[in-house]
Amino acid sequence: MTAGARNALLGAMGIALFLALWETIGQLKLAGISWPPLSAVLEMLTDEGRRPLFQRALVATLQETAQGYLWGTTAGLALAALAHLVPPLRRGSDRLAAVLNSVPSIALGPIFLVLLSRDSTPAAVSSIHVFFIVFVSMGSGLQRATPAHRDLFAVLGADRLKRFWRLELPAALPALASGLRLAWPAALIGAIIGEWFGASRGIGILIINAMQNFQIVLLWCAVLLAVGASLVFYGLLTLLERAAYARFG
Amino acid sequence: MAGGASITIDRASKRFALAGSSEGVLALTDLSLEIAPGEFVAVLGPSGCGKSTLLRLVASLEQPSGGSVSIGGAAPGLVSARHALGVAFQDHALLPWLSIHDNIALPFRIAGRRVDEAAIARLIELVGLGRFETARPRQLSGGMRQRASIARALVLEPEVLLLDEPFGALDAVTRRQMNVELQRIWSARQITTMLITHSVDEALFLADRVVVMSGRPGRIVREVVVPFARPRAPAVMRSEDFHRLVDDLTAALEVPEPESSPPTGGEAIGSVTA
Repeated sequence: MTAGARNALLGAMGIALFLALWETIGQLKLAGISWPPLSAVLEMLTDEGRRPLFQRALVATLQETAQGYLWGTTAGLALAALAHLVPPLRRGSDRLAAVLNSVPSIALGPIFLVLLSRDSTPAAVSSIHVFFIVFVSMGSGLQRATPAHRDLFAVLGADRLKRFWRLELPAALPALASGLRLAWPAALIGAIIGEWFGASRGIGILIINAMQNFQIVLLWCAVLLAVGASLVFYGLLTLLERAAYARFG
Repeated sequence: MAGGASITIDRASKRFALAGSSEGVLALTDLSLEIAPGEFVAVLGPSGCGKSTLLRLVASLEQPSGGSVSIGGAAPGLVSARHALGVAFQDHALLPWLSIHDNIALPFRIAGRRVDEAAIARLIELVGLGRFETARPRQLSGGMRQRASIARALVLEPEVLLLDEPFGALDAVTRRQMNVELQRIWSARQITTMLITHSVDEALFLADRVVVMSGRPGRIVREVVVPFARPRAPAVMRSEDFHRLVDDLTAALEVPEPESSPPTGGEAIGSVTA
């Protein structure tokens, strides 16, 4: 058996063990009534009658997340590139990003609510999370070019823009891909938190409603949906990251 | 068919700042060297003698603290800005995401010139990488990467070629092969060349003139005009004259370094005498 296959098998066994434990604790009510067995959660999640509810919530949250991801990535890339090409901007932009990141998104929500519509708030909170991760990973990625490569470009008479396009940007892609992978779960959390400020639908709304009405199984359904939405895209972005390292690393 | 520009180093010195020392470190002092158009000069010296600093001054990667460096009468920075310098380092510095062909085409793109496919094809053939144009650097051996790096250095037909220990990281057998290759490649162009090396054999086999440097601070202690006619066959390296010159230069390299106290400011530097 190859090392890869063994790792996959061990991983699968670990997950199976976790799920079995979940089911057992739920069945025996070891953790009280707030811990339903996995089978009950899956039953509700696959229930035909509830499908439109889950589908609407999932689609809404994914849309907001994707929007926030796009906004945050665009802003992070633009500011990182600008700060890199215009050195006087570098320190200021680092500070700005650090300050933005140090404000808890739960505190930003109301501000967005005032500035934007209820339905734009999730994407806005999400984009703040993404912005910071992309800005930092791109900024450090742009420093990745080796001294030998920098010397080469200097001797060949490359100007700043040529150096940026032909050396620094490609050399930054692996670090950027890592940032993009980490930014997805952060984007999803941002969207869910943003929904709590009064969006009309989404996984966050599902969570709030389930909590307030003490629908424990529904709450766990929402959590599973969120985990699924996170893991699927995280996995895809991991593949992108691997490709970036293989080509540009 | 000698070509290229002359290199003039006139009483150049280079001092690097060093934390905790007001004097810094003197890497080169009062060094003068004239390289004629089309001449191949090898700079030989122990590690840390400042020979790479000398090349970096000519490559416009460093500015001299005193004296001057010029290429064909112009400042190296201007020559670099008009894309007329060719360079190969010990680290091949090929871009890992580009194919061999695109790495060799890079100087055209940096210079904003049309990529001359015919010139690239000729050079790829000349350095013997005909079947590897589409390969990526990591798929090639160390020797092949250095060939690609030398092809890249030559592709814009530079006025001067600067080689900083290009074969320093190769094993002895590959290194000797590469010396024979470089000799053949250079004979086809005969561009003004400055080769930095610590190998006596390499210097003698390739250069028209060998300059020996001694360290701390770097200065020239010996100059030898290499008498062997070109083109040189590897058999030259087995001749008696070659061995005599090797012994001669090896002895020059082993000139005992002046006693020096640890570098605690000006004292160590002051104690060095030529």
